[in-house]
Amino acid sequence: MATEKITDIRHMLHWPGHMETDYIYTQGIAGEKFFSEIKENEKIYGGRCNHCGQVFVPPRLYCERCFRKIAEWRNLGSKGVVYTFTVVYIDIDGAKLDEPIMYALITFDGAEGGLIHRLGEIKPHEVQIGMPVEAVFRPQAERTGSINDIRYFKPQS
Amino acid sequence: MREVAIVGVGSTGFRAVTPDVSYKEMMFEAATRAYQDAGNISPRKDIDAFISVAEDYWEGFSIFDEFVPDQLGAVLRHLFTVCGDSIIGLSTAYMLIKTGHFDVVALESHGKPSDILTLYDVVQFAMDPMLNRPLGGHPFFVAGLEMTRFLYETGNTKEQCAMVVSKNRGNALANPYAAYGADIDVDDVLCSNHQFYPLNQLDVSQPSDGGIVMILASNEVAAELSDNPVWVKGVGWAVETPSLETRCWSDAVYARIAADMAYKKAGIGNPSREVDFAEVDDLFSYKELQHIEALRLCRPGEAGLLVEEGETWIGGSMPVNTSGGNLGMGWALEASGMQRLLETVLQLRGEAGSRQLSDVDVGVAQSWRGVPTTTGAVAVLTNY
Repeated sequence: MATEKITDIRHMLHWPGHMETDYIYTQGIAGEKFFSEIKENEKIYGGRCNHCGQVFVPPRLYCERCFRKIAEWRNLGSKGVVYTFTVVYIDIDGAKLDEPIMYALITFDGAEGGLIHRLGEIKPHEVQIGMPVEAVFRPQAERTGSINDIRYFKPQS
Repeated sequence: MREVAIVGVGSTGFRAVTPDVSYKEMMFEAATRAYQDAGNISPRKDIDAFISVAEDYWEGFSIFDEFVPDQLGAVLRHLFTVCGDSIIGLSTAYMLIKTGHFDVVALESHGKPSDILTLYDVVQFAMDPMLNRPLGGHPFFVAGLEMTRFLYETGNTKEQCAMVVSKNRGNALANPYAAYGADIDVDDVLCSNHQFYPLNQLDVSQPSDGGIVMILASNEVAAELSDNPVWVKGVGWAVETPSLETRCWSDAVYARIAADMAYKKAGIGNPSREVDFAEVDDLFSYKELQHIEALRLCRPGEAGLLVEEGETWIGGSMPVNTSGGNLGMGWALEASGMQRLLETVLQLRGEAGSRQLSDVDVGVAQSWRGVPTTTGAVAVLTNY
């Protein structure tokens, strides 16, 4: 430990650093299927493990339980239910948001897992576990093959 | 049988900001204290191997391992860095000694989050780049999602979580190492700003800076280095799944698997009866309740009742986080688990000052790697 310490904060020197990292994250075979189906057909796909029978969403090329290859895709449509939710009131720097953002895990009938996404067209105090919701897609021309091709999930009409 | 003991501990203590020292000077201070505590050993000749616990992104370096040896006295010596939580680091030190090739091992962990200007952006970088990150927003929304489901499934309440905050911030008042001691009550927590519903501002641990070093030794040399060795009876660790989409949202499955591994090694069959006290991760208030249940220190769904009835407070039948936990000591990144270990050691040595528990022989320390992970580790420590 230092025997002489700096006691006047104005005397402290520091060096401002910036870690710049640009990446391309490859979506892979299962990711290509999943995001293409959202982009082209407004469908959410899962992958079925032929060993344990579980359907996982989002799909992966391998089963995390059996460590077997998954080769069968399943169309899960675009409707699900709210499994859990939260309402976020601050941004990533801690500043209060003008409008809170609602996030949920949406699960789909017959599938293990679900999708994390935003909720819309609903007030925070109206959200409940078990609530049926459906995906609201961006117009086709605006879609890029991203999770944001779904704008949010809204209560089923 | 070859046994492993903790024979020395040293800490800088934890503070919200530390502009007066660099991370290296912080580590040097903690190491100097630990070497002195372990019979004044010299790192230049008496320590067989060194382990530091660090993560590049927290540190702001690529290959941070290279920036570790000098401040620990480990230049030209046998050192590696574990990229994990500090109880995973402890497990690694334990295994080195168990091999029979090492008698004395130094373990280091620190956090200096006040150096990170975009701390929560680094957290966000731990999330899936295609499924989660594009959604944007503060990454602690993951904790809000988990708390909602945890309360829904277990019947524990937001008020009981607020009691955890009141208890831990109060315990921290009696801990000179803690950054966030405060006298607050349940209403203070429930009336604090909404952040990640159901989490309010005071439900969330705030960052803190500090370092801890521990010296571990085999039973063959432990008595030479310490009059009051603390024995590592069992260690365990586990990861559930990296995917937010397929993980369990109500239980801390990783902590249960890690605890079962550690209990088995320690020969503990009934933890709620055999364990005297626990230090568990409480980065968010509900995590303390969730982790108490995962460690089988109570029956499922009853952790909230324990805090409500005073059982997890100092003086209760199962004191939890007498140190103040992360809520009281602060979130010190990878050193958060080491804080839990440090308090467990101090309690078992009878050196916990005004928060000292009476008649304690078996303590459990547990860590979680934080949002968005499902990784945790557990250590069972005794003073006999």
